[in-house]
Amino acid sequence: MLSMGNSTFEIAINAVKTILVFFMMVQAVPILVWLERRGSAFIQNRFGPNRVGPLGLIQLLADAVKFLTKEDFAPEAGNRFLFYCAPVFALIPAAIAYMAIPMSVPLVTESYTFLIQGYEVNVGIVFILGISSLAAYTILMAGWGSGSKFSLMGALRASAQIISYELALGLAIVGVILLYGTFNLTEMIHAQAGAFHFSAFGYTITAPWAPNWGIFYQPVGAILFFAAAFAESNRLPFDLAEGEAELVAGFHTEYGGFKMLMFFIGEYGHMMIASGLMVTFYFGGYSIWAATPADVQQWFADTLSVSNQVANILSVIAHFLCYTVKFAIFLWIFIHVRWTLPRFRYDQLMDLGWKTMLPWALANTIITATVIFVTSYFIL
Amino acid sequence: MPETNLITDIGLNHYLVLSVVLFSLGMAGVLLRRNLIVLLMCIELMLNAVNISFVAFSKFNGKIDGQVMVFFVMTIAAAEAAVGLALAVSIFKRFKEVNIRFFEHLKG
Amino acid sequence: MSSDAFLFWFLALVTVVSGLSVVLMTNPIYSALSLAMTMIGVSALFVTLNAYFLAGVQLIVYAGAVMVLFVMVLMLFDLKHELQAFTRGRITGAIKIASVGILSGLIVGAVTMGLKTATTLTESASAANAAVALKTNPDTTRALAENLFIKNIFGFEALGVLLLVIAVGTVALSRSKGGSHARD
Repeated sequence: MLSMGNSTFEIAINAVKTILVFFMMVQAVPILVWLERRGSAFIQNRFGPNRVGPLGLIQLLADAVKFLTKEDFAPEAGNRFLFYCAPVFALIPAAIAYMAIPMSVPLVTESYTFLIQGYEVNVGIVFILGISSLAAYTILMAGWGSGSKFSLMGALRASAQIISYELALGLAIVGVILLYGTFNLTEMIHAQAGAFHFSAFGYTITAPWAPNWGIFYQPVGAILFFAAAFAESNRLPFDLAEGEAELVAGFHTEYGGFKMLMFFIGEYGHMMIASGLMVTFYFGGYSIWAATPADVQQWFADTLSVSNQVANILSVIAHFLCYTVKFAIFLWIFIHVRWTLPRFRYDQLMDLGWKTMLPWALANTIITATVIFVTSYFIL
Repeated sequence: MPETNLITDIGLNHYLVLSVVLFSLGMAGVLLRRNLIVLLMCIELMLNAVNISFVAFSKFNGKIDGQVMVFFVMTIAAAEAAVGLALAVSIFKRFKEVNIRFFEHLKG
Repeated sequence: MSSDAFLFWFLALVTVVSGLSVVLMTNPIYSALSLAMTMIGVSALFVTLNAYFLAGVQLIVYAGAVMVLFVMVLMLFDLKHELQAFTRGRITGAIKIASVGILSGLIVGAVTMGLKTATTLTESASAANAAVALKTNPDTTRALAENLFIKNIFGFEALGVLLLVIAVGTVALSRSKGGSHARD
């Protein structure tokens, strides 16, 4: 039993962290939108928004004002309740799932260990997959509530796509789970910290200059996961839901103003979850190149000759920056791919999901399991 | 024997009663509703109610077998939903309706 | 009130209210969405019972896949009004409700009567042991895997075969002749 004071303190801390991470996520969206518009302009050799403020940075503020002051309308033929519910539900699962991703090493004080993440979940992967699979409802509610054929077709396509690719996504992660033997994201990151070392048949191979990242053990899984994550967040080349040529704009055809913006925030939220998970599973999470968190803290304490407390704070900041850099690289890849590749046809999409990615993911799982069994149970 | 407060001390019985309430809701739905798909959904509700009692027993008896059973029930429920929906779709194609009243057509 | 008790009563309210609306809503889409809400509530109840992995699986399998399938099929049919949502005849309806009420009353009665004997009989031995066993080892996922893959491996394999059969059967049932994917 928790004593009341401690649990109240913990509840308060968790509530504050939840709100903070939520705002961090929502605040990252305008930056991403700016990056996407400037980036697409850069790729397509044009200017993009450059009039409002330096480099067009204030453009997003102007856009937000425009969205907020637009007329709020709902289609006559649709279902008003679902129509208004859908944008709210677009936001919530993305926010809840993102909070389970650890962003830095814990800040340790004498009385309390402060985790730099929304909250720690024991079965982090399953939790994130479960919560983000609720996104299909949003799309279905929006599509059906709009009372338009374009919306409904877009919603059915999108949800079928999400269900299909969830399978490949889940199976791609199984390799990682087998490798680290845990569902907990923090433990996974700890397993990837430090220099490259691999034990097989009783021998240990080490490479002090290379990091111990999951991508070296699971390259196929990483590629499959990243491709499936594109499909899950409904981004190009998998954005069949809003194929402009056929469906106007898919499930959000009838939306405008702030409700539309909420769908956008949801989509960017899914992109951020995918990038965060990619970093956590395959690129060492917050850990710095070939160094464990303890090494980093020791280095700070030695070179700057500061107390352990200060070194801990510096190490938290350094790890957070490291995570942010990795995270930003993957977000940029998302944007770059969107403006580079053309859209799939729907049957190509389904064939890719069911006939290519699923068998590869299954093969990856079987091979990983066999290799782990053989290398760890037979000693030469 | 210490007094047990029904509101604040949550035990096995609370979960069992909740499970019974959900199960009877599902059963009432199966008996009362006429839409084939809603009937399937009510069966899913009953299975979920049973799952709650399995997990509750597993926790309060300290054995993991209840959770394994829930795993099996979930798989069966998913399979049942898939077949049920496939049947519903083919019935809808035939009669343009999924009300079980239309099953009278199945008579000879 | 402790946070455990508050969580239980809140989740009980959510699941029962949304379960009730599954039965009472005449629009099947509202029924399906309420059932999805019930599934999410049940998954949260699993968390209160320390079954973390099952809670996640419940979310993925039920709320994320099965119910999405239901909602998709309902939206494809576009059933806006129902011809006859509830059963015909007042007397049969009353009899059905009464029988459900009697059944649930009997079970609830049995459970709460069992409370007296169960607490006196097992509280000392098994309940205490159980609490200790699950408190000291909150990682039920590993125990679940060991039980599933060692003790119940044949049941697990049988489930795999069942799923394969179901997949083939479902495809065979829903295959339409002359669709856009028809090869023959």
